[in-house]
Amino acid sequence: MHNSLPDRMTRFWRATGGLIAWSGYLFLLMPTLILVPVSLGGSQQLSFPPEQLSLALYEQFFTDPSWWGAALQSAKIATLSTMLTMLIAVPAAYALVRGDFPGRRFLNLFTLSPILVPVVVLGLGFYLNFNLFGIGGSDLSLVIAHTILIAPFVVVSVSAGLRQIDPALETVATIMGAGRATIFFRVVLPQIRDSLVVGALLAFLISFDEVVASYFVSGPSTMTLPVKMYSALRWEISPVIAAVSAMLTILSLVFSVALIHLQKKSRGH
Amino acid sequence: MNHALDTRHAALLLAPLTLLMLLFFLMPALSIVWTSVHGGQLDLAAYRELLTSALFRRVLATTFEISIEATALTLVIGYAIAMHLARLTPSARAVMMIFVMLPFWTSILVKSFAFTIVLGDAGLVNRAISWLFGTETPIPMLFNRVGVVLGMLNFLLPFMVLPVLGNLLAQDRTLQRAAETMGAGPVRIFLRITLPLSLPGVLSGVLMCLSLSVGSYITPALLGGRTDMMMANLVDFYTRQTLDWPAASAIAMVLLLITALIVVLLTRVRGGNVEVL
Repeated sequence: MHNSLPDRMTRFWRATGGLIAWSGYLFLLMPTLILVPVSLGGSQQLSFPPEQLSLALYEQFFTDPSWWGAALQSAKIATLSTMLTMLIAVPAAYALVRGDFPGRRFLNLFTLSPILVPVVVLGLGFYLNFNLFGIGGSDLSLVIAHTILIAPFVVVSVSAGLRQIDPALETVATIMGAGRATIFFRVVLPQIRDSLVVGALLAFLISFDEVVASYFVSGPSTMTLPVKMYSALRWEISPVIAAVSAMLTILSLVFSVALIHLQKKSRGH
Repeated sequence: MNHALDTRHAALLLAPLTLLMLLFFLMPALSIVWTSVHGGQLDLAAYRELLTSALFRRVLATTFEISIEATALTLVIGYAIAMHLARLTPSARAVMMIFVMLPFWTSILVKSFAFTIVLGDAGLVNRAISWLFGTETPIPMLFNRVGVVLGMLNFLLPFMVLPVLGNLLAQDRTLQRAAETMGAGPVRIFLRITLPLSLPGVLSGVLMCLSLSVGSYITPALLGGRTDMMMANLVDFYTRQTLDWPAASAIAMVLLLITALIVVLLTRVRGGNVEVL
């Protein structure tokens, strides 16, 4: 008797909070839930739920070279940018975590700063700058722009991995006579394999989906999939976008499940 | 025994990234500054024109309005989600975290496109409303403020949930139990214990969301109307439509300054840690 009123109130507030939370989850899941059905609705009218089932939009995508060409271009740029980023950001992260030199904190902040700058500002900077270097509108300009944007994410995830492994192992290897390079490749990298994979997946996905900076940097012959989608959404709303979006959603779903799995694994030991 | 790398090795390892960033991050930033003062003539005309431009003042006001509205809504819903997650078992929480993180991994274009289908006059939401309440006229939710704020909410939620959840999980549960034993109701416990203790997480989430929303470009362009233009869209407008690069650069500088102020506050709150997630 004494406890019943507070109990009922507790239940009421929990239910209210739960209701808001579940609407929130539903809202977060909405794009993932509706896009695949919408894309299977055929080409007439995009709606959810779809009125008929057909693969017409996917057929349109795969028979129109301007669409699948843009997807290939994105895959190419994302692969090259991820490779370049891993090549330069992993050693940098190692130096930032293990190094002990003046200006380390400042350099750490500097390498992370592209995350903090609005992408449109970076886009404008690239736009004004790349013509100076004579690489405006080329694949190289896209790869460089994407590398600047994704390097901070790789530095963060690799640094996190490095902070979890015991530096004494590297010291032991030094005592045993291993050189710096051997230690880096044979002792350090194998231990942070999961963090490397997380960083690379993250970098690839961000590059593959990047639109604002690419919109400023790419030319008609180097147009990536997001840039093509953006102009299609702005100017024509072509139904093919439904098929593209559905495929990108599935890609994101696969990536996020893989990443959460990897992050759990790397935190596990 | 010393685990540290010596300075020479560290410099070698850092050189490629630093060089690339000097050339293609710092240089572009400096060319914006340079262009905004008309090619280094220290001519502040572009900034003076901004001050008198009715368009710029309107866009600046819209940018703040949308950012604050979206962040406030994100705080309410993000807090409810964080509280719900905090009460789950760790394994159930790991599953639900996929829902929260999914928008973070989903292309902003894909999300915006989904909203154009769901929020339209004949979209799912309007059909549900007319079915529930028997109303005839659809509520306009697309290409206006409602569309932009909902689109931003979807994008911002993970950045609010994570810091608040971190804070809620770190709270000592015995405090709440003690308050309960002493007869405090759930509202009182929330207002006097849970909420005050979670304020650092809330502040961190709010600042993160503000810094992300002031720079928004895609969401207002695809889900907003003409009057929902934000600063990033204005930068693009001056760069590509009117080819007025000094004006575009001056606006970019203002946007950069606003973001920098928010980020400085954020690093204060987070004690020097600027990692996004």
